[in-house]
This record gives sequence, structure tokens and C-alpha cells, in this order.
Amino acid sequence: MIRYILRRILYAIPIAFGVSVVCFSLVYIAPGDPLQTVMPPDATAETIAIVKHAYGFDKPLPIQFLIWLGNVVTGDFGVSISTRRPVILEVTDALANTSLLALFAVPLSFSIGFAMGAAAGCFPGRWIDRIVTGAAVVGVSLPNYWLGIVLVIFFSVQYMLLPATGMGPNGSTEFHILQWSDARFLVLPVITLAMIPIGILARTTRAAVAEVRNQDFVQTLRAKGLSEWAVTRHVLKNALPQVMAVMGLQFGYLLGGSILVETVFTWPGSGFLLSKAIINRDVPVLQGTILTLSLIFVATNLIVDLLQSLIDPRIRRG
Amino acid sequence: MALGNHLILRRPRSGRLEGPAALIQRSIAMLALAASVMLAGIAAQAGGGTLTVGMTAGDLPATTGNPDQGFEGYRFVGYNLYDSLVLWDLSKSDKATDIKPGLATRWQVDKANPKRWIFELRKGVKWHDGCDFTADDVVWNLGYSADQKSPQFNPAQFAQSRSYLGNFAGVTKIDDHIVAFDTKVPDSLFPYEISYVLMISPCRAKEVKYNWANYAQHPSGTGPYRFDRIVPHQRLELVPNPAYWDKTRIPKQDRLVLIPMPEASTRTAALLAGQVNWIEAPSPDAVDRLKAAGMRIVTNPYPHNWTYQLNFVKGPFTDKRVRQAANYALNRSDMKELLNGLMLEGYSTVPPSTPYYGHPLLYKYDPDKATALLKEGGCLPCKVTFAISTSGSGQMQPLPMNELVKSQMEAVGFQVTLDTMDWNALLDVTRAGVDKYPDINAINVSRQTQDPFNALIRHVWTKQWAPKGSNWGHYSNPDVDRLVEQIYGEFDPAKRVALLTNLNEKINEDALLIFVAHDLNPRAMSPKVHGFVQAQSWFQDLTPVSVEP
Amino acid sequence: MTDIAALADRLEAFEEQAPPATIVRGYWQSVFDRLRHDPVTLAFGAIVLLIVLAAVFAPLIAPFDPYAESIIGRLKPFGWRGHLLGTDELGRDMLSRLLFGGRVSLLMGVVPVLIAALIGGVLGVVGGFVGGRVNTAIMRTMDVFYAFPSVLLAVAIAGAMGGGIGNGMLALTLVFIPPMCRVAETATTQIRALDFIEAARATGAKTGTIIRYHVLGNVLGPVFIYASSLVSVSILLASGLSFLGLGVRPPIPDWGLMLSTLRQSIYVVPFVCALPGVAIFITSICFNLVSDGLRAAMDVRM
Repeated sequence: MIRYILRRILYAIPIAFGVSVVCFSLVYIAPGDPLQTVMPPDATAETIAIVKHAYGFDKPLPIQFLIWLGNVVTGDFGVSISTRRPVILEVTDALANTSLLALFAVPLSFSIGFAMGAAAGCFPGRWIDRIVTGAAVVGVSLPNYWLGIVLVIFFSVQYMLLPATGMGPNGSTEFHILQWSDARFLVLPVITLAMIPIGILARTTRAAVAEVRNQDFVQTLRAKGLSEWAVTRHVLKNALPQVMAVMGLQFGYLLGGSILVETVFTWPGSGFLLSKAIINRDVPVLQGTILTLSLIFVATNLIVDLLQSLIDPRIRRG
Repeated sequence: MALGNHLILRRPRSGRLEGPAALIQRSIAMLALAASVMLAGIAAQAGGGTLTVGMTAGDLPATTGNPDQGFEGYRFVGYNLYDSLVLWDLSKSDKATDIKPGLATRWQVDKANPKRWIFELRKGVKWHDGCDFTADDVVWNLGYSADQKSPQFNPAQFAQSRSYLGNFAGVTKIDDHIVAFDTKVPDSLFPYEISYVLMISPCRAKEVKYNWANYAQHPSGTGPYRFDRIVPHQRLELVPNPAYWDKTRIPKQDRLVLIPMPEASTRTAALLAGQVNWIEAPSPDAVDRLKAAGMRIVTNPYPHNWTYQLNFVKGPFTDKRVRQAANYALNRSDMKELLNGLMLEGYSTVPPSTPYYGHPLLYKYDPDKATALLKEGGCLPCKVTFAISTSGSGQMQPLPMNELVKSQMEAVGFQVTLDTMDWNALLDVTRAGVDKYPDINAINVSRQTQDPFNALIRHVWTKQWAPKGSNWGHYSNPDVDRLVEQIYGEFDPAKRVALLTNLNEKINEDALLIFVAHDLNPRAMSPKVHGFVQAQSWFQDLTPVSVEP
Repeated sequence: MTDIAALADRLEAFEEQAPPATIVRGYWQSVFDRLRHDPVTLAFGAIVLLIVLAAVFAPLIAPFDPYAESIIGRLKPFGWRGHLLGTDELGRDMLSRLLFGGRVSLLMGVVPVLIAALIGGVLGVVGGFVGGRVNTAIMRTMDVFYAFPSVLLAVAIAGAMGGGIGNGMLALTLVFIPPMCRVAETATTQIRALDFIEAARATGAKTGTIIRYHVLGNVLGPVFIYASSLVSVSILLASGLSFLGLGVRPPIPDWGLMLSTLRQSIYVVPFVCALPGVAIFITSICFNLVSDGLRAAMDVRM
């Protein structure tokens, strides 16, 4: 087991390197100037050349890559061009805000999705199955940014119940989850964000439960005279590993942030940071954000793999 | 008073000062407490309140002196935290704005040397950190933004101030309250140029050891507002500076909160939901809804020009008749309808309220004349390509507006291709100039026209050919160049206005641009906001504003 | 964005399913039979067909020129002067724009998936069949791209390259290749280990022939179903890119872009402004249901 874990961790290292190469080169396939953001519209070529030199963007690309990689390994992601703040601060701040959304969206969508899927899977073909299957496919087919806009029109503009945008009067540095004046800013983004994972989990759970119910041991249990409730408990227990795998992936995706939902709600999370970095061509932030999110994603996948192999040793993959 | 508590308790969490800096900060906080007690008296009679602004900027403007995010950055952050030697008089709404004394009380050109300006500095001014403002600070600040060899040089500041300091050659301290500026050539417009260069506190800069990221979290200026706190990308909070040197401009509200909201529909929703009480540039289509909710919409002409700069090197627009045809083709009242009335029909580079507007030749809508001119010019159908952006500072509603221009021009015989790009890509095209993009016939970049150089000279002067300047299409006319040099050498304001009027009329006569619209700078505010006077300027004075609870 | 999370969900479902062990005689016949008795899939299949036909024949059906503007006729409600679905912010006919927009949206939904299925499929089959170092090289490269949350990858690629239909489709294709490759590789590896391939080898069949008859025959099914399930994901993603300004450029009609530009006018004609979202939703849900039906019909174990 330990050897397996070690092997999986070692295996993540070349992937991380590959990811960093992709991150760095991604930015340089782009046309245009990485210093756009600090230049006023009427900056002259001479001005740009001087500033470029001051920021080190006039060095050859491979050298820039080595310098960047060297810094990244020591935890230095550089400095944002537009704000001059260290990228690591920018990314961790944004990640914290996204995690706040995930903190609510994850339990909400996991519990609702699992409950819906389990109910449907236990009564295949019955009305509850039909409703759940229909609702789940709506969830995965809905453009969630559109849903966000509609919710804002409804709850913020029409009825003035909930705020339309941002994180509220205290910003993210002093956000108090327990105070309604702050927490109410979470409601609409969390609902919007949870929609798709609910659909996905309901579908996965339903499929897994239905599959387990068809297995022989369920008949055996019934034959042994167990109550239907006890049989269901066994079924759910056996369907869990499969559902957990999908939950793990969803967790990773939610942590990665939702660019569209965060854009619609101006939520200052990682997805929003990334889209702003793209618009501003803020190269260090762009690289740092993608790299961090990808590494988190790699780590989440690794943990899911390991958890799965703990639960069911047959799954161990090379 | 609650305000005092805020000042002490709510310091930004990140980038906290250490050691002696902390000590200084604590004493500042004490000072602020004392000040706010003083202020409480003022606020009690004036109404106070918190003014929360939804800006169009994509991010918070830089707090390190000259801000980024265009003139919106100057409007809300630059001229609030800081002063320049020369300020803009924003107290009137019924006439074009002009400059007035700021940190300098008087200035004049050296009688013996037309390349030297003498500025007398205001006495008794203190930085927010308590240091005195002196001539040394002015010299230090020019090193900060213009001298690559000075230890305080900041490339970001250099980028933001370079276009205003193109003619700047050096600065010398004469005594503690007099400085002399040297210019490369005689420059009668230098006071306008220096009005865009904001002064930051060298005391604070030294305290943070020239770490500008740290300075950005603890800025110190001489302006009517002082910094309270910042949540990066989310909100910037300013509080009144009760010790401001201009007692008439001590802010009447208790707190000014600035929030970036680049999406127009987000700003509208935020205002309707009561999250902010002031938004910049509401979408024209939302105006009726806002009015129905009791919001106030204020507008005023200001020196802004939504226009096309033309290619004078290659293509149809090298022919004056084609340029005139394009201008005759436009039915600007349709455009006004498209924008729900939120524009001024544009027939010249500057709006008619400008002192040097004169009596320019106006190209009123005349489609027959346009077609006739195209025939005469031998360009029918006349194929042209415009580079346009999907959004951008001052671009108003670029997509629908360009679509309308296209359809109107095609009605008279043009064939217009719109090359749509994002704002940064269009800026690339704009800076590089016509040499690098010979097949683009016009660029749609709106320009500020606040002072004579930015309004007129940069578009026509041969010395301003891109990539060196803003003359994108490489227009060149010896008569005009001579006129420009006369303007720079004319130190008598009245005579200078006459020359500028001449230049403006020449520009129209030559159909240098396709004139379309001047923005009306709409903003929407809650009925609880009082006291705002909208000046005819990109900059606005927020100090008289108070907000009912 | 979690839209793409659907990608993983679907992939997961695939790894759980063993592909049909072999193509039995009458397999396609039985698939067809099952489909015939599945009214839901048939109904939604018909809607998909209608949407596709409407998009293909948009120039014939559309009552107005989708680019014809009218300043007096802007933002009008349903039924105004013959504009069945109202007009947009430039007075263009919404119905016509929705029809033409369907072309772009479907194009961006289908083309990246097809190309990705082709490239990913080939890579997966080659890797799975040849095995060894070739397989390792291919799959490890795919793993690197797998490490990116897919939406971030799509947005980053499209953003870096500056948007436009072409770049948007390229970005989506790059995002879909790795999972497609994995599906094909898994299926191929499983088939390869089965007895009948060995038997074919023993009888002296050429490698090319084996791939053509046995491997492709058994891999095509899973790849096809997986691809069909990605179409709705691709439509959602493409409209998302356009919504962010990284996809289709104006004035070309595209559902995502229309949603984004009409967002400013939502206070004037809310229902008209909601239409592009409805179009995206209906198309995406239909593709999802059809794909579900196909999956059920083609799964031999059921």
C-alpha cells in the first residue's frame, strides 16, 4: 500500500512539470504586449521599451522560463503587473474566496444530489425516478451564468431581498459568515454554483444504486428475510465508492472556481482573478493562477485515487 | 464618533507596517481620531453619510500617485488622495472647466528664458502623514516618475505620466517654496501638462523603503481625502482630510467607498438593489428603469470625443472628399436615439462649449452630398476597414454605435468592414500607428479633449506621428505645424485661444476625423445623494456631496 | 465553472461500463429495436433534428435579414410588426438571429467534438493497441492536459489566442482530446486482451486488418456515445466563452454572445433578452437526453 501511494505521488511530479511548461508557454502564444495593463492608451514605443526593460520582459523566452521556474520552485510567483502585489497573495486571496463558495456549495450539492439520486435509484421507473431524472438533466443542461442573471433580476432588483454582486461591505478580508449582512452575499452565487453538481451527482448516484440493486447479493439479502430498509442501506453502502469518485472530482472543480458564475456575481475568486488576468494580460497572475489551480486539481485527483484504493483495493492502478 | 473607531480598528490586514512605521501609523491614527472629532462637528451640520460609488473600471485604480484605469482613476482616486501643482476648477457646471492653482499658488514663464517656468508653492500644506510639503518634495516627485536614475524611480509611474512630461527637461529648487521647470522647447501649455502629475509623500515612500506595493496599501498625499483601507480588487475606502488646505473643499460626506464594476448591468443591479448609491455610466437602456425606481440621472457635456482617426498614408481617406463624404453620411440624431439621448451630436473635435471652438465648418447629415463627393473622388463603392473594440474606456457602446455608423455609411456608397478586436488589441494598433497597419483605414478610439494638446495638437502635429505620439494616421500639414509651434510660443492666454480657434476650424475644414459623438457622462444616483455639481470635465469634485442615512 | 465537470462524470460512467465483448450478429439491429421502443429519446431526437434543420435552412426560414438594423425598431416585444420574437438592441429580428445563431452554436458544439473524437480516438486506439512505450508516451502527455480543470484550460487558451470562432473551437478541441483519448484507449486495451484478437493473430491476420475489423468495431461504440454526450457540454462551454467575450465576435449571431450583449437591455424587454438562454438550454437538454437514450440502447448488458 505504501509503495503504491509513493508511486502515485512520484508520478505526479512529471505531470506538475508538464503543467508548468504548458502554463508558461500558454501565455506566450498570445499576440500583444504583456505590459498593456500599466500603459496608458497614448504611451509611446520608447516609453514601452523602457518599462519593458524595467520589468525584465525584454529577455529571451527560455531564460524567462528558467527564471520563472526557479522562482516558482521557491514559492515566488512574481509580482502582479497591474497591482504590484505578489502573485502568491493574489492567488491565495482569490482561492480563499472561492473556497468560501465551495464550503457551502459542496455540502449543499452533495447532499441534495445524493439524496435525489438514491431515491430515484431505489424506485427505478417510478414517478420519483422520473422527476429526479428530469430535474438532474435540467441541472446539467442549464447555462448557469444565465441562471445567475435571472436570479439577480428576480431576487435583487425586483424584490430587493439579496445583494446582486460582490462580497459586501467588508470585502473579503473581514467576511463574517455568521453575520447575515455578510452571509447574504453568498446565497445567490452558491445556489447558481450548486446547480450543475446537483445534477451530476443525482445522475451518478442513481446509476450506481440501480446497478448495485441488480447484483445478486441483493437478492440473497432479500431471500434472507432482511427488511427493505436494511437492504437499501446495504445497497447505498455498496454504491458509495463509485459516487465518492465523482464527488472528489466535483470537489476539485468547485475549488477551481467557476469563471462564469464568479464573473456574473463579481465574486473575487480564482475564476474571476483568471478572467481579469486574461483581460489585462497580467502574465504573472495568469501563470500563477493556472499553475496553482492545476496543482490543486492534480492533488485532488491523487487523493481521490488513494481514497478509492483504500476502500476497494481492486481499483489500484499503475 | 464612530468614524474615529473605524480609523483605528479597520486597518488593512495585509502588508502591515512593522517597527517604527507602525509607531508612526499609530500616531497617525491618533491624529485621525482628533481630526475626526473635529470633523464630527462639521459633519453634524453637513449631513455626512457614506457615498458608495460603482465605477466602470475593471479594477481599483493604483493608489501610488498617477493612477491607472484612465481618467476615471484620476476622478475617484488621483485627485482625491493627491493634488498636483495645478488643479482643475470643477465647481461650475455651466461652463468649460479650466485650470486653477493647486499645490502651486502662482506660475509664470521666466522673462529671460521662454524654456523655463517658475512655480511658487503653497505654504503651510501638510502631507497626510504629517510632514511638510516643500520644494524638495516636488523635485523628488519628478524623479519618482521621470528620472530612471533616481532611487525612487517607479516604472509604473513613468508609464502613467510620460505622456504629460514629454516636454519636461528638468526641475530645480530655487528656495523652499519656489521651483523652476525647464522644458525642451518653449511651452506655453506646460501648466496644463503638469496638472496631470500628482504629488505623493516622500516621507511615506521612505518609510516603506520604496516598496511600492506596500506604499499602495498606505498611501499619503495632500488631497481632500485620506486613505482608510483597501481590499485589493474589491473596494477602496477614503475618509475626509479635515486638515485640507482648501477649507471650502473638505468633504461633506463621512466616507467615500469605491467599487470597481466593469459590467454596466451589474452597476445597474447594484444601484437598484441598494448596494451602492452612485453609479458611473448606466447603460442607456436601463435609464428608464432607474428613473422609475426614483434614481436621479445627471448628465453634462464634457471634453470627450467619440470618433474615428483616419489613415492619411494609404487608402480612400487620403482624399479629403472621401473624408467629407463620411462625415456627411452620418445621421447623428439616429445615434442619439440609439443612446436614449445620452450623447451630444459630434460635429467637431471639441464640444461647442469649448473656448476655442470658434465657427468650424459643420458636416450636417446630407446623404446626397456624401454620395456626390464619393463619385467626385472616384471611390464608389468605397471600401474601407475600421478597427473597433468590443469595449473600453470612453468607448461608450462601441458595438451598436459602430454597427449604426456602418449602416449609415453604406447607405451612401461606402462598404465598411468592421475589424472587431478587444480593447487592448485596439490600443496596440493605435500605438503602433499606420505604418504597421497600412490596411486599416480608420481606428475608433475615443479621446479625451480636456486641454489644447490632447484636444487638438496631438492629432495633427507631424512631431506626434505614431508610434511617437497620437497622430495615428500620419497627418502632416506644414501650415498646421507652423500654427502649433506658434501656439506653444504664445504665452498670452487670449492670443493663444485665438490661435487654437484657428486650429480647430482648420481641423474641421480638412475633415481630419469622422466626427460622431460627445459623451454626456451620465451617472445615476440615489435620491438620497445631495449636493453634487457635475462639472464639464472628466474629473469631478465629490467633496460637496452628502448622503442622507 | 463546473459545466465541464459533466465531462468527468461521463467519463467515470464509461470506465464503469465494460464495452460489448464482441459485436454479435444483429447488434445494431437490437440497438435499433431498443431505440424504437424509447419514446423519450425519439421525441427529443426529433427536436434535435428540428433544431439542426432550422439552423441549416436558416437562410430559407428566417423571416428577416439577421443583420438588418433599425434604430426605431430596437428592443421591441414579441410580435411587434411581424417580429415574432421581438427585436434586439439594434432592432434586428430576434427569430432570425436565433436561427442563424443556432448555426454558430451548433457548429461550435459539434465540430470540436468531432475533431477531438477523431484525434483522441486515433491516439487512444494506437496507444491501446501498440501498448508499451508508445502508449505510455501518449497517455502521459494526455495526463498533463488532464491536470488542468478543463474550463480553465479552454478559457486560458481562447483568452491567450484572442477569441474568435476559430480559436474558440481550437480551445474546445484541445480540451476534449484527452478524455476522448482515454475512452478509446481503455476500450482498446480491454478488447486487445480478449481471446478473439489472439485468435485472429494466430490465424495470421495483419495488424491493420485486426485494427480495422475488431478493434475499431468495438471501440467506435463507446467513443461515439461519449462524443454524443460531449456535444451539450461543448455547446454550453462555447456559449460561455462567447459570453465572456472570448468566443464569437459581433456582429455574428451566436447564442452566448447575444445573451451577453442583451444583458444591458434586460430592463427594457426581459423576455426577449432571456431567449438566447432558453435556446441554449433547450438544445443542450435535448442533446443530453438523446445521448442518454443512445447510451442505454447501445449498452449490451442492459
